[in-house]
Amino acid sequence: MLDLAVEAHQLIKKFPARPGTGDKPLESGSASGPKKKRWQFWKKEPKAMFTAVNGVDIQIQRGEIFGLLGPNGAGKSTTIRMLCTLLEPTSGTARVNGYDIVKQANDVRRSLGTVLAGERSIYWKLTGRENLEYFAALYHIPAAVAKKRVDELIERMELKDRANELVEKYSTGMRQRIAIAKALLARPPILLLDEPTLGLDPQAARNLRELIAQLKQEGHTILLTTHYMEEADQLSDRIGIIDTGKVIALDTPAGLKRRIEQKEVIKLEVTGWHDELGDKLRSINGIENLMTRRQGEADLWEVNMQAHNSRTAIPRIVEHISGNGTRLVNMNIVKPSLEDVFIHLTGKALRD
Amino acid sequence: MRSEMNVRSLAVPGFFADVQALWAVVRREWTIFVRYPSWIIAMFIWPVIFPMGYILTARALSGIDGSGLTTFQNTTGLNEYVGYIAVGTMVWMWQNIVLWAVGYSLRNEQMRGTLESNWLSPTWRFAYLLGSSIPQMVSMFMLMLVSGLEYAFLFKVDFDGSLWLTLLVILAAIPSVYGLGFAFASVVITMKEANAFVFLVRGVVMIFCGITYPLAILPGWMQTVSQWLPQTYIIHAMRTAALSTEGFSAIAFDLKMLLLFGAFWLAVGYLLFSMMERRARQTGAIGQY
Repeated sequence: MLDLAVEAHQLIKKFPARPGTGDKPLESGSASGPKKKRWQFWKKEPKAMFTAVNGVDIQIQRGEIFGLLGPNGAGKSTTIRMLCTLLEPTSGTARVNGYDIVKQANDVRRSLGTVLAGERSIYWKLTGRENLEYFAALYHIPAAVAKKRVDELIERMELKDRANELVEKYSTGMRQRIAIAKALLARPPILLLDEPTLGLDPQAARNLRELIAQLKQEGHTILLTTHYMEEADQLSDRIGIIDTGKVIALDTPAGLKRRIEQKEVIKLEVTGWHDELGDKLRSINGIENLMTRRQGEADLWEVNMQAHNSRTAIPRIVEHISGNGTRLVNMNIVKPSLEDVFIHLTGKALRD
Repeated sequence: MRSEMNVRSLAVPGFFADVQALWAVVRREWTIFVRYPSWIIAMFIWPVIFPMGYILTARALSGIDGSGLTTFQNTTGLNEYVGYIAVGTMVWMWQNIVLWAVGYSLRNEQMRGTLESNWLSPTWRFAYLLGSSIPQMVSMFMLMLVSGLEYAFLFKVDFDGSLWLTLLVILAAIPSVYGLGFAFASVVITMKEANAFVFLVRGVVMIFCGITYPLAILPGWMQTVSQWLPQTYIIHAMRTAALSTEGFSAIAFDLKMLLLFGAFWLAVGYLLFSMMERRARQTGAIGQY
């Protein structure tokens, strides 16, 4: 049991469906179904339930970086929130650092360093140092130890010159570094990083990825959720892809890519795109998972599709695109990336 | 296994660690409070402005020469109507500020996004509510002191009573005033919004507890209701302690009632907090804003 840092077995979380939010009520709260009688008007209707997480199984080895990928609403945040004890599962069990997330919630919290909500998780009216000293006390670090640890982390996060300024004067990247330092304060064995590079400029994101790799070298187990495929590919030892509340694939990045290595990815850039064109391209034999994305404000569209044999498909693609105001600007045939695996498995792009 | 060798937690859990965490919440709350300069207005100007409307109305009704004050003196046994109104409105302001400040303390954290990051730590969760109330108690005590001085020097109010007895009344009132605040804080997290409840409670206190008039002028049923509100005993005891020379025996019953109400409201506050915490774990309410 202790060889696993995180172990979840058949985790299920259901919420009452909220009207007008897009929650799809998958089932009713009553097995017998609602039988409304007039004289029962004072009785509550059984609540329609929305299943956010539907039987998630995860096992994370100690010292591993585990990436959890999924589009918005797939259930990854709910899974993370259950693992860090903010939410209780409807059913199923999970252990973090060997502790049960329901029965030993405080031991779980003591074992975790968590970055949720990034820059919003710290106090903007306190300085960076005050924030870290405050959270050190909450994580039960003795005052004398906390002082040294805060200095050490400020140094490590390269915030020494700004540590005594209010956080409201920091850049997003600096706030994110304080949020990460907060997670590292008690030197917890397991780190749970929810979208740690979201909103960071490329340089800050690169620095953070280097830091995450260093933390792994120091022996931390890291559960990482991200929208950035390259980030997950670069950092993760294994990746779990979650969609509609279920883990639909779990493997190393290379193992996941092998699943579609017999396919090729055709990337086009076109102007004058229209939806009927998409239908025409999808009808070509051997073409699947066509995705379009408009690039900026200009009338330039990126069109990605997977093909079993690009040589036979390309002439027909070119034939369809030429004319009717549509113009092919660029075309590449590339090896499948992790994003293509994701599209292949879920039928949608990660940022849908 | 390398991780177990290299990653050794720095946390030392235990009772003193929780006390240290509570103190950290107090320091955090105080630091943030003084960094918003509007507290100076709340401290020095609001306590004088708020009762002025009532005081001037009283002066108008009693006549500029105070000839109409005899009835007031006969009913209350006090000459000092400015002090009488100032004490009543002070208690009302205290409860009102506690409902907003303590009642919305967790909600404000929730909207800021920091409630979850506090909740993720292994600290005793009631410490967040308790810790954010202590600086509020200190600032409220300073507000009472400042407004007492302002009334003594600007309006020549004679506070003939005992400072120590007044302090004793404030201490005895704390559990019921803050217990109600704790209960509110938990309701607000669940309902996300409780302005209507705050307006209702402060309206009830304003009418039933006699902040500007003696309860004797109320109809019988209203006097019965007022006996079930701790603010009635706070106002009576504080007026007696601050404005009269009647001594401890005159406030002994009020103090006893305040301690009883305090035990009740603290228990209700803690119970509602525990229920809210449990419910939040099931619904995810802590992270919703």
